[in-house]
Amino acid sequence: MKPDRFNHISDQVLLENYYKDHNNEWLGILLQRYTMLLLGVCMKYLKNEEEAKDGVQQVFLKVIGEVGKYKIEYFKSWVYMVAKNHCLMKLRDKGKITTEINDRIIATPDETDETSTHVEKEMLLTQMASALQQLNSEQQLCVTLFYLEKKSYQEVAEQTGYSLLQVKSHIQNGKRNLKIMLERIKQNER
Amino acid sequence: MSDELKDILSNSNKDIDNQQLMDYLSRQLSGQDIHDLEKMMADDEFVNDAVEGLQQFDNKKDLTAYVQQLNDDLKKQLEKKKARKDKRKLENFPWIHFAVVLLLLLCIIAYVVIKYNYGAKKPQSKPPVTAYVTAQFKTR
Repeated sequence: MKPDRFNHISDQVLLENYYKDHNNEWLGILLQRYTMLLLGVCMKYLKNEEEAKDGVQQVFLKVIGEVGKYKIEYFKSWVYMVAKNHCLMKLRDKGKITTEINDRIIATPDETDETSTHVEKEMLLTQMASALQQLNSEQQLCVTLFYLEKKSYQEVAEQTGYSLLQVKSHIQNGKRNLKIMLERIKQNER
Repeated sequence: MSDELKDILSNSNKDIDNQQLMDYLSRQLSGQDIHDLEKMMADDEFVNDAVEGLQQFDNKKDLTAYVQQLNDDLKKQLEKKKARKDKRKLENFPWIHFAVVLLLLLCIIAYVVIKYNYGAKKPQSKPPVTAYVTAQFKTR
């Protein structure tokens, strides 16, 4: 089976097919979609090319062995957690990290605001502009340049004088803070 | 403006493809495409971690070969597993055949035995009544 032929099939359908007939080829197609991303994740944590490649193989084996044990609905989130946990455990074994690893494998997607209805979103958007003003100056600047002026990380970094890492951090934290603020407004309205 | 504001909260559900990633890593994407990919990174921790990791590879050109190698190994692994499964199936197969044939043979033997036994015990047909009456008259 050539993976390209199945590009139009979603992860969920491929998983359903696998659960129906337990044909590993469905799993192969699914995993190959994430090989490069998994290689990147393993490299980010393990910081060694050979270990990263080995890590991806270990993740594949773990997925092949465990996918049948759970009813996974969001494969992408699940495989990411498998990979991240694998890397963190490797680092813990080496004594490089001491933080507790969450061994629970999450089979649901990250919490997003996808559940909120379109109308609710529209209502929240009217409060977005004022919430944006409440962010600290760094986050406000980076979020505005990135989301509203559609600049790249590099352009934001050049314009603000922050490093790429700082820009990413300000954008991600700014986005999270905006969500928290809007949630708070929503709760106050109830 | 409201569309852009909406963008901050909406999580992009677009799937990223390898070519897009490779083009981003080798700085071959145009302005809008760079922004789209970085928005995916901001929305999705998986993509963000992956891009940060891929940027750490010394030679980005090797990445495609590494991915190909990993995919080939995965295929081999899955084929090996399938072959083991098929072999197990094949090992069980002759026993099933043997059991079915044995059962059929037993049925045939049982049928033959019952038929012959039943045939041997069957009473012979009586002589017709007219022959009996004629014989009675003759004796008188």
